[in-house]
Amino acid sequence: MRSEPVEMTVLRDQPRLFESRRVLTLILMGALAWSLLNVGWRDGVLHAGGLAALRDMGGALLTPDLSGEVLAKLAGSVWRTLAYAFAGLSLALVIGFPLGLIASGVLRADSGRRDPMRWFARLLLAGLRSVHELVWAWLFVAAVGLFPMAAVLALALPYGGILGRVFAELFQDVPDGPLRALRSAGASETQVFWHGRLPFVLSDALSYMFYRLECGIRSATVLSFVGLGGLGFHIQVALADLAYSRAWTFILGLIVMIALVEAWSSALRKRVTS
Amino acid sequence: MSTLRPIEGARIGFVHVSIVVGLVILVSSWVFVLGWDRQPSFSFFSTETAGRAWGFIQDLVGVGRTSEPAYAQLSEWSRTARLAYDTLAMSVLAIMIAALGALATFMLGARNVMGGGGLPAGVTFGLVRATWAFARAVPELVWALLAVFVFSPGILPGAIALAIHNYGVLSKLAAEVVEGMDTRPVEALRSAGAGRRKALIYGVLPQVLPRFMTYLLYRWEVVIRTTIVVGFVAAGGLGMEFRLAMSNFHYTTVSLVLMWYLVLVLGVDTASAGLRRLAR
Repeated sequence: MRSEPVEMTVLRDQPRLFESRRVLTLILMGALAWSLLNVGWRDGVLHAGGLAALRDMGGALLTPDLSGEVLAKLAGSVWRTLAYAFAGLSLALVIGFPLGLIASGVLRADSGRRDPMRWFARLLLAGLRSVHELVWAWLFVAAVGLFPMAAVLALALPYGGILGRVFAELFQDVPDGPLRALRSAGASETQVFWHGRLPFVLSDALSYMFYRLECGIRSATVLSFVGLGGLGFHIQVALADLAYSRAWTFILGLIVMIALVEAWSSALRKRVTS
Repeated sequence: MSTLRPIEGARIGFVHVSIVVGLVILVSSWVFVLGWDRQPSFSFFSTETAGRAWGFIQDLVGVGRTSEPAYAQLSEWSRTARLAYDTLAMSVLAIMIAALGALATFMLGARNVMGGGGLPAGVTFGLVRATWAFARAVPELVWALLAVFVFSPGILPGAIALAIHNYGVLSKLAAEVVEGMDTRPVEALRSAGAGRRKALIYGVLPQVLPRFMTYLLYRWEVVIRTTIVVGFVAAGGLGMEFRLAMSNFHYTTVSLVLMWYLVLVLGVDTASAGLRRLAR
């Protein structure tokens, strides 16, 4: 007898929930149909000789170019890509940590959403991450020349924007209990940050940094398309020569590098969090 | 200390080595970037660089040009509006193809679904996981370079390239949701007599789909930012226009394209936030 009212409310709740999901499904189906209409079907989907190119590419994947000359280039460009990623990410940390701290507003007890410093930091972070790293790289190279620093800055600016936003969210999401205990013991907001918030977010922040390192290696690869001589540059040159086997050597090198970083990070995370 | 806690000691060993290796790579990266790597004839930290950067900013704004900057002309805005429309279509097509691919395969790569299914299930699991890792590890731009050899120019090769990379990302995220989900509904269905397939459909999908929608919408925000990059090589949308303008030194048109991107990114972020509310 008692369960009846409960069932009633469940029944009353369900149609509304169902309705909003159904609306979402309809929107998604409509979006798919609309985007399909915008493909130029009439001109033909495949390139003349597109299938032959696909077959050549597939065959070349099984026979990557492993000559000494190519492998030496691969080793050099793997190191260059890794170096750009590490330097870029460390600079991104220098940009993102203080900006994220300001944007989170945790250092001042009275900081509201309308705090101008906070608002400005949020806007700056959003602006940094809305421009893609390859676009930053091209703009820097066009402005000042082919400096390795152009690649590092191009990586550091959007990644600083992303890291800042994530750090801000992590700092805000620390549970209130331990922080209140610190405050009631007389700690200032700065002390609460160093002894309460920072230790709490450290493991999450570390694992996110590793994920970003993986992304950073991919981004550093892409960056070198503007002429900065990393993996991406060699992939581009190989494909311009229609040398699919050589292109796959560099692509497979990238995949192995990312797999190694992933393995390292998961091994490290397991030991830090458990 | 280490004799008291031998296991702890072993763990710290690996962490210590990792920290040292990380620091060595970090320091040598900076030495390489600032010194060893090829550099132009002048230093990066010089007035020469500052002057060039300032000149470039003036070019982007259009200072000292006789003609009106592109971003101040209505005709230029209406010409590029068509490209912005194409770019939006490319992003939607890409995320939809990626989502369909992920929906079709995410169960096959979830450890808790495929575990205990014997050798065939194990092999399928390994193959599916390897495909995702491959799709994910190769950046969108490289997929686009390959796609232009196969598909005729337009929004399709760019959309396919974005779709392949995001298929890998979305599938992995969906599989992780399945691996971390509440298994009690599935057990309840099984004990009520539902078959394996039915238990998965009615026990797993209702839990996973809302999270999947959230990820899909987040990835859409990433995809719209990346369309500019695949557009460079895939001959479609605003990316193509950006490349042409950079090559022809039409820097005020570059500014115009970047303004369009600001509009698109803000629009997609807003739309995605609204749709996420529907998914909850």
